[in-house]
Amino acid sequence: METRARRVLLIAAALLSLPGCASVQRWRTHRAEVREARAEARREAAQSAGSDSEMPPPVIRPEVVRRHARAPRIKSSNFEIGAHFGVLSIEDFGSHPTYGVDLAYHVTEDFFLRAELGRATAGRTSFETLGGNIQLLTEGERKFTYYDFGVGYNFLPGEAFLGSRHAMTSSFYLLTGVGATQFGGDKKFTVNVGAGYQVLPLDWLTVRLGVEDHIFQTDLLGASKLTNNLEAFLGTTVFF
Amino acid sequence: MRRAPIWLLLLLGLALAPIASHARARAQVRVFVRTPYLELHTGPGRGYPVFDVVPRGQSVLILFRRTQWLKVLTRRGVEGWASERDMMRTVLADGSPLDLRIGTRAGYMSHRFEAGAFAGVYGGASLISGYASLSFNSQLALEVSVGQFFGRYSNGVTADIGLTHVIAPQWRLSPFLMLGTGLVHTSPKATLVQPSNRTEQTAYVGGGLRFYLTRSCFLRAEYKTHMVFTKLNRNQVEDEWKLGLAVFF
Repeated sequence: METRARRVLLIAAALLSLPGCASVQRWRTHRAEVREARAEARREAAQSAGSDSEMPPPVIRPEVVRRHARAPRIKSSNFEIGAHFGVLSIEDFGSHPTYGVDLAYHVTEDFFLRAELGRATAGRTSFETLGGNIQLLTEGERKFTYYDFGVGYNFLPGEAFLGSRHAMTSSFYLLTGVGATQFGGDKKFTVNVGAGYQVLPLDWLTVRLGVEDHIFQTDLLGASKLTNNLEAFLGTTVFF
Repeated sequence: MRRAPIWLLLLLGLALAPIASHARARAQVRVFVRTPYLELHTGPGRGYPVFDVVPRGQSVLILFRRTQWLKVLTRRGVEGWASERDMMRTVLADGSPLDLRIGTRAGYMSHRFEAGAFAGVYGGASLISGYASLSFNSQLALEVSVGQFFGRYSNGVTADIGLTHVIAPQWRLSPFLMLGTGLVHTSPKATLVQPSNRTEQTAYVGGGLRFYLTRSCFLRAEYKTHMVFTKLNRNQVEDEWKLGLAVFF
């Protein structure tokens, strides 16, 4: 039954794709038509230029020089790239320095998409410290590497003032996303939520202070549990 | 910890590269105000106060653009932010209106490239994936997607290539169908009996819905059923459900 349903779906998809293929065909012929039309226009233009002397002069000779104005390209600066440094508290493994890179694309003044990649190295659990010579993880497995992408929302936009002469635009932001975390010899699906405050000392430079929680399910220490791995960081990005 | 300085250098390099590109001079565009006046805001947002106006007939130089805002320089040397909506009423030196090419419904209907990211489920495992597509026309597109899934017993990556057919591109909520082939690389967790990694070919058929949000952004939800051609006696079927955000160019 399931197979039949799948077969029907497959046939339906194939049949419905045919009009698309047909329009691709049309697209090719359309290109050819455009080329022909252009060639004809050129021929006519050449003919009328050549036959100018033979023809009687028209009553009104249009002397309009058609300008081919190209639409100007305006530089957009909606992408942001940068780095952040901070502290990551890896649940059961202590707090450790972390660093990472970010890339963001601003869709509107309110919403942006952000991807980030970061790393920290976990320390020893209290069990390992107290137990003497016990090692739960190898050195390689202690590397906590995460990546995620998500949506951010800028709220409470405003201006921050430095003395009486300098004003910087600023805003708070909320961020949520999904990603993966490699830790303890396993990769885990990770949900991250964060918030922060950012100022733009220059039009292309941002400085932000943020917190982010990387949440994932792990059974590293026996029982399966949801871990919260909080990160506090200072980051800087440049717009391009 | 020994490798950290190399990472740091790399990060710094990444951070500095755009500054170099920023410094490169570009051709700037001068436009003339045709409305009674053009309002200049202190920041690129609707809440920032208006601090200056440019009267009709005067020109401004467009420095750059960020989301719906354009940073402009007036003849008097004042820099401020003008909204895209106001700037679209200005004209170029030859009298033609300024075309800002913002993402619109028309662009949603017919565009060249799109890309997006998803979260979902693949054969019972959590999935994150991304895709990019090249459109031949408003209906048919070649699509490549990659994903990573995290299951209870195995993790893995998927890569697909196929055709997508949008049935009615003019609709805001428009359905589409997909057909293609791909690879799936599965790494079972080490605690299992057969911990060997395997790569298998797949074929998929699926469908979905896309919904235009704003500018060049849309939502996309899709379902794919993958036939995995295993080395065992019978083939395996994996279902994939996902929801994500995408942008078109």
